[in-house]
Amino acid sequence: MTDQTNDAKQYDKETAIGGDAQVGETMIELRELTKRYPGEETPAVDRVSMEIPKGEIVVFVGPSGCGKTTTLKMINRIIEPTSGSIIIDGEDVTNIDPNHLRRRIGYVIQQIGLFPHITIEGNVGTVPRLLGWDKDRTNARIDELLDIVGLDPSVYRSRYPKELSGGQRQRVGVARALAADPPVLLMDEPFGAIDPITRTRLQNEFLRLQEELQKTIAFVTHDIDEAIKMGDRIAILKEQSHIAQFATPEEILTNPADEFVEDFVGTGATLKRLKLTRVRDIEVVDDALIGRLDEPREDLQKRLNESEWTAMLLLDKDNKPARWLRAPDFRHDRPAAELGLPARAMVEKQATLSDALEEMLVGSAGVAIVVDGRGAFEGILDVDSIITSIQTMRDADAEFYRAAKLIDPADEVA
Amino acid sequence: MSTTLTPPEADVGARDRAIAEDKAADSRAKRAKLVHYYGMPLFLLVVTIALLLYIQGSELDSIETRALATDVQLDRLQQHLLLTGVSTFFVLLLAIPLGIAATRPRVRRYAPIVIGLGNAGQAIPSLGALALLFFLFRTIDWLPSTGTIPVVVSLIAYSFLPILRNTMVGLDQVDANVLEAGRGMGMSNRLVLRRLELPLAVPVILAGVRTALVLNVGTAALAFLFGGGGLGETIQAGFQLNRRPVLIFGAVSVAILALLVDYLAGLVEEFMTPRGL
Ligand SMILES: Nc1ncnc2c1ncn2[C@@H]1O[C@H](COP(=O)(O)OP(=O)(O)OP(=O)(O)O)[C@@H](O)[C@H]1O
Ligand SMILES: [Mg+2]
Repeated sequence: MTDQTNDAKQYDKETAIGGDAQVGETMIELRELTKRYPGEETPAVDRVSMEIPKGEIVVFVGPSGCGKTTTLKMINRIIEPTSGSIIIDGEDVTNIDPNHLRRRIGYVIQQIGLFPHITIEGNVGTVPRLLGWDKDRTNARIDELLDIVGLDPSVYRSRYPKELSGGQRQRVGVARALAADPPVLLMDEPFGAIDPITRTRLQNEFLRLQEELQKTIAFVTHDIDEAIKMGDRIAILKEQSHIAQFATPEEILTNPADEFVEDFVGTGATLKRLKLTRVRDIEVVDDALIGRLDEPREDLQKRLNESEWTAMLLLDKDNKPARWLRAPDFRHDRPAAELGLPARAMVEKQATLSDALEEMLVGSAGVAIVVDGRGAFEGILDVDSIITSIQTMRDADAEFYRAAKLIDPADEVA
Repeated sequence: MSTTLTPPEADVGARDRAIAEDKAADSRAKRAKLVHYYGMPLFLLVVTIALLLYIQGSELDSIETRALATDVQLDRLQQHLLLTGVSTFFVLLLAIPLGIAATRPRVRRYAPIVIGLGNAGQAIPSLGALALLFFLFRTIDWLPSTGTIPVVVSLIAYSFLPILRNTMVGLDQVDANVLEAGRGMGMSNRLVLRRLELPLAVPVILAGVRTALVLNVGTAALAFLFGGGGLGETIQAGFQLNRRPVLIFGAVSVAILALLVDYLAGLVEEFMTPRGL
């Protein structure tokens, strides 16, 4: 997943420079979409234009009342736009029968809105029945969906919503939205009303699901951390849904478009960035001083004394890190396997820098050991290399945006 | 510091007690259920028997005997049930659709006014309302001034507002998110009404129907004002003849009927409330 997104994000930067190159197809296009509620002077949403690429999660994020929900609900016309148009998969849907439109768009809201008097199976089967699927197909689909969202159909099919926990209800909400396999999903704070631990789990499950499903998703949240985690792209909205910045999470964190974005992202931008960067994205020390558990003590001591390193990492016969040795440790008269400290703080390459940093702070050595999937040693990561890499990323980004600004023809017009 | 654990027996004791408590709660719930289903009919049976014994035990004079003759009383009971049943039927036919119509989006903003009227209508004492209607039927020439029709019309008018109000409140209290989810999945307005709004409003609507039924049983006792018959005639006779057994028989039989109707309506309400609510 990260590989893909990183590639996609890389590609974006190139197109930003190139200008007219196309990244995939556009699935949802909003053109000058406006909503003025009756009796209001100013529009709640004012001429929003946006293109949402096929297969991506685009997150609308912004302060309360900025018009996120209104914008989202205009896409399936639960709220009818005052003006402007909505194009889905090349078709202008602004004036078609809204009920037909909605059967093609999955819809998940924060309050879930499960039908309390209808069983889980009835809830999930709502849209297939509206579409006139036959019984067998609907039933098979219900089982499949409950499986997908991690609920055992034989247990949950015939329950009523009140007989489920909050997290389970939200899963049913997602299953129900996916029932007729709609290409587009709209989600308004879908994980908002759930405790933090369950929320994290549902977010992760949903991202894994999305890897398979490749739906085009418009996702509303007011939580910038959730936006960064869930979004392939983020639209940061100001009042009246004016787009302050529409970009990948990396771009928003490293190069906020203006003060508003900077404020909204908050002071933790660098820390947030650490959650986006993986250990494999930065350089690890791979020439660290290595010894073997079964080497004679004297050899180990000699090599450590001759090197510029203050510590040596001992590996066992499977190449798994075993112990840290420092020069003073050799004063004790014990076999190597009992000298020094046990090796801790191990991370895999796909761990985020944030995970790695946490391991470092917990582990005693002040560094993290990078291992592969089987636990074999790959390299060492220290705080300095994390800080250096952040610095490098920032410089590179800054340079990139300077370059982009110079080349972008739109800039010359403006 | 002591290393011994709490003796296991103590723990087991607490557990046993907890289990025993659960069992007790279970059987309490079972008993509550028994009382719920059989308590009222049993009570009514006892009261009826007591009433009959009382009448049997009293030395009735010829006037009383005539007033309390079984066929007369059965006739009045039948009239009473007919008045109540017919008026309730029509009131459902009129008030529920109107309540649905009045909560549709286009006219929804007037709903509070109607609900307010409903509440005000409820506050008028039934005797007062009937007296007004009575007066109306008497003064307007082309309206029948006696018989079943004025009674039924009065009963409809009187129980109309509570049912209308409950229909509207019932539809109004349905969780807006549920409706939005339904619309968001492409259900038409008609489907949303039929599959979501009405089933979810059923408990409140039925509560209104139950109230109206009981009200109608009581109010139908005033049908004698129009010469409409019913058990009220017996009460009236009791007053006019100044015969206590007659008065008591009339009053208690209306009360028994009202309680019985309330009980039956409660069963229907329970049966028709969707599971999962
Ligand atoms: N039905 C309505 N009638 C009038 N104004 C409305 C209505 N719904 C929303 N608004 C106004 O439109 C603006 C945008 O509302 P919206 O619900 O889209 O905000 P939001 O960004 O989703 O906020 P939040 O994060 O609090 O959910 C707000 O100022 C709100 O007061
Ligand atoms: Mg909102």
